[in-house]
Amino acid sequence: MSSKEFFVNRYKELGWTYKELQPKPSIRINTMNSDRDDVVNRLESLGVTLEKIPFLEDGYWISKSEFSVGATAEYLLGLYSIQEAAAQIPATLFTELQDKTVLDACASPGGKTVQLANLLNNSGVIVALDIKRRRLFPLSNQLERSRVRNTIVYQMDAREASRLNMKFDRVLLDVPCSGNYVTDKDWFSRRSLKDVERNARRQRQILTEAVNVTKDNGEIVYATCSLEPEENELNIDWAIGTLNLQVEEIKCHGEKGLTNVFGRELDSSIEKCKRIWPGQTQGFFLCKLRKQACG
Amino acid sequence: MMKAIKDFVGQFRASIALDKRLIVKKKNRYYLLSEKLKKQIQQDFFYAGVYLGKLKGSIFFPSFLLLTMMAEGKANKIVVDRKTAWLFICGRDIFKQGILEADGSRKGDYTLILNEHNECLGFGKILRNIRKEQDPNKVVVKNILDIGDFLRREKQQSRQR
Repeated sequence: MSSKEFFVNRYKELGWTYKELQPKPSIRINTMNSDRDDVVNRLESLGVTLEKIPFLEDGYWISKSEFSVGATAEYLLGLYSIQEAAAQIPATLFTELQDKTVLDACASPGGKTVQLANLLNNSGVIVALDIKRRRLFPLSNQLERSRVRNTIVYQMDAREASRLNMKFDRVLLDVPCSGNYVTDKDWFSRRSLKDVERNARRQRQILTEAVNVTKDNGEIVYATCSLEPEENELNIDWAIGTLNLQVEEIKCHGEKGLTNVFGRELDSSIEKCKRIWPGQTQGFFLCKLRKQACG
Repeated sequence: MMKAIKDFVGQFRASIALDKRLIVKKKNRYYLLSEKLKKQIQQDFFYAGVYLGKLKGSIFFPSFLLLTMMAEGKANKIVVDRKTAWLFICGRDIFKQGILEADGSRKGDYTLILNEHNECLGFGKILRNIRKEQDPNKVVVKNILDIGDFLRREKQQSRQR
């Protein structure tokens, strides 16, 4: 059995039929720097056709453009960011971000860091981590271009975030994952179940450390662009049982999280998570967790 | 540190208020923090708050955030038309005919370059007195730094990957 057949059969077992898809390019307007309608008008005057993404406040699909939207003055001025539609969801799941202390634990290339700064309206403090030094350069460029003012960047493994000696109100875990075939045409030939399991282990380590640096009653948003349940529902099931976390209801695009995975019954609260099978967007998984107060 | 920034800003006949307590240095780079960031920052940071620019030898290279802050106050500024703005972002110099407005026009000065929306695109050096120059096809401002630099950096970084 080929790797592709193996994974496609798994998706079928989980209730979804594989289909070939092309990712739709999309942008997110940085409303801290600009007025939404003004940016839309400016892009349309350049000949770009935009389509509002119905489940996102500031997101637009690029229906037609004769040139790269990453090479306009408006982009270079930080009036919008190029960000895949599903990837725009995680940062919007937090409540009351204004003035909060937020950790973006796996931040590069910085699309979600900029989005968090936007949602915080440059208030509070964002700490953005990435393990690899070379990935801090594009992250810093994004912050400068997008006129972000409230972020500190460190080269640090998210699994060592306790070294910061800080406690956070909100933690974004856009964890390193296996990805999915929509954004990587060689995905099936490059991935095996072993990779998925290795990533799942690392994700559990990151989740564990995230709990250590989250304040009581603080929120953790866990997100992957993987379709594999080991990195998603199974990790959350483990976290509920091990880390004293509670899954919170979220209202966003996507289907309920799976509570039965390959015959294994999971905690019923996992249906509050969202699983996005590829379609209008790439594949994604989203979960909002609350750290319960001790005692 | 402050002197390098102040001297640079002065070349635009501008001044900006920077709270010295809130400026931090990392290697040759300078950052402006908020009070909240100041309380949280640790020594081994990579980037923080508002990046102001870097000092190489005795030359100060500003960030676009610093130029934007300068553009909010009084400074040498030139507003250019749409076509000229695009050419400037692509690294080209500015011809007299592309200038819509000029505030400060003395030869040898630095000037901020703004588009029709008053957004700062970078800066240049005034080569000829802008008001007195009669020939529309003469270069009057030499491009020193423009926001197209973000794309150039991206390309450079992807080559290094």
